[in-house]
Amino acid sequence: MPIHEKSLIRPENIISHENLEIDGIDVSGHWSTFIKPRVVTDYNEDTEEEIAALPGGEFIHRCWQCGSCTNSCTVNALDPEFNPRYWIYLARLGMEDELLRDKDRIWQCVSCNKCTYSCPRDVNPEGVMKAMSHWLELKGHTPTSPSMQFDEEFSGQVFETGRIEEGRIIRGFFKRTGQNLMQDWLVELVKRLIRGLPVKLLMTMGLANIFRPRTRGWGPAREAIEEYVAERKMADRKALGLDEPGIAEQESEQ
Amino acid sequence: MSKPVLVIGGGPAGLAAAHALASVGRNVTLIEKEDRLGGAPILSGYAKLVPSGEWAKDAIGGMVGRVEGNGLVDVRLNTTVKAFDGTPGAFSAILSDESKIDAGAAVLCTGFTHFDPVNKPEWGFGTFQDVVTTTQVEQMISSGNGVRCPSDGRKPKRVAILLCVGSRDRQIGREWCSKVCCTVSSNLGMEIREELPDTHVYIYYMDIRTFGLYEDLYYWRSQEEFKIKYIKSRIAKVTSDGERLIVKGEDTLVKRPISIPFDLVVHAIGMDPNVDNLLLSSVFDVELEGHQFLKRASTYDSMAGTSRPGVFVAGAATGPETIDDSIAQGQAAAMAVLSILSQAAAE
Repeated sequence: MPIHEKSLIRPENIISHENLEIDGIDVSGHWSTFIKPRVVTDYNEDTEEEIAALPGGEFIHRCWQCGSCTNSCTVNALDPEFNPRYWIYLARLGMEDELLRDKDRIWQCVSCNKCTYSCPRDVNPEGVMKAMSHWLELKGHTPTSPSMQFDEEFSGQVFETGRIEEGRIIRGFFKRTGQNLMQDWLVELVKRLIRGLPVKLLMTMGLANIFRPRTRGWGPAREAIEEYVAERKMADRKALGLDEPGIAEQESEQ
Repeated sequence: MSKPVLVIGGGPAGLAAAHALASVGRNVTLIEKEDRLGGAPILSGYAKLVPSGEWAKDAIGGMVGRVEGNGLVDVRLNTTVKAFDGTPGAFSAILSDESKIDAGAAVLCTGFTHFDPVNKPEWGFGTFQDVVTTTQVEQMISSGNGVRCPSDGRKPKRVAILLCVGSRDRQIGREWCSKVCCTVSSNLGMEIREELPDTHVYIYYMDIRTFGLYEDLYYWRSQEEFKIKYIKSRIAKVTSDGERLIVKGEDTLVKRPISIPFDLVVHAIGMDPNVDNLLLSSVFDVELEGHQFLKRASTYDSMAGTSRPGVFVAGAATGPETIDDSIAQGQAAAMAVLSILSQAAAE
């Protein structure tokens, strides 16, 4: 007999066995379908404290679940599953498994701050979303994706030179993701650029790829940015009780 | 010399009424069935009061002192009223010690009775030692012993406070809100966190009714400064795994069953009508209202009145009431007594 309620149960909570024998009785087939209990068996007070320790998350404990944040949310209007109110609750009770189910959604917050202006308790939900994203990353719940590698290459160049150079970004990104530079579409693109662009512009682009020009006087800005980023990373890791990055790691970052 | 005014009950309302009448020169006979004055805050050993934050023994103790030290107030402890007859200005009462006194009027300040949570056996009171009432936690704090698990004296790591125990529950015939328990519980939660900063306090609620200024001073403050967590759930059952208590219910926000271990479970017990209300109703010939509290006459017409002219009522005798409002009502009843006595004297 089919279980009608199956549609109400998440697929990962249904366990079925092709062949199963219990106490000598064959219960193969649909008889061997089990549902994992949905009971919350404990709270984890550490989760809220960790998120509260990250910048933006300080006021998460003020939340009384009115739903103003979700109601005003830009992203929620497009994706009804994007629910800051709910994530704040999960974080507060330490229901990490449930929170991690949405780890690919949480970072989609666009920081429009509509929630910040509608929150009656000054929870600063936008800050909490930011803290939650950092928490996911620091806890290692977000494996490095190609888009993340692109972001790192992009921001790395900005930090270093104060500007970006498309050709270098593409090369760096391909290198990070282990892709071959000589891809048909890219070769074709370069060929057409050479044919179509003015010679002077082509030369500027070529030189820029070789000499890596910097914004004038960028040095102090670079140092300040790098110092801030390193400081922030250290502080966040410390807040979560993670090992501080070793000296070697810091050096390789610079 | 004018006949004394009979004030029944020596709690906040009775103490306020007696003091108010004595301070305008009236004789008062204050009847108290227990062996000391002060009412629930003193008899039940409350800790710090809402909203003053003063210790009950200081705040209410001060009210007791000024009444006991007043020559116009005749305090009769361990005494009840057996019979009461007459008309406004000319009542007579027979007390339990068989003495007879004349009275111009009477004010019933007979208060309430704490709900006994053994009447909600599914929540474990009387079954598990570490299930206690808000009153017991008040006593743990006011005694200076601190909040501990009664079973072995350990400091609780996690405390659950269940609201609406004996309130808002048709199953046990208590359909009223006891009005003060939300605020009292958030106050207790803060006191627990103050004493035991590593203890996590969870409050399970159906609605939070920290009315008026208690909203930010208690509800918000308990969340924002003391990190108390409020969870919307009416608990189904309190049981034990042999080591800790297990609180079972549904977390209505995640729509999932919960089964959470706790060290200490506190019942925020409500206010029942005084167990003596049927007796009081018959002795003083006053009506009870639908929940068995004393019935109040129309407030617009006759402040602090009952169904019987010349007999007044104040405080939690008429329904769940805060201490401050009970005191105000005691004073209001005194004013009503004065006006009826001056009328009687003029006639």
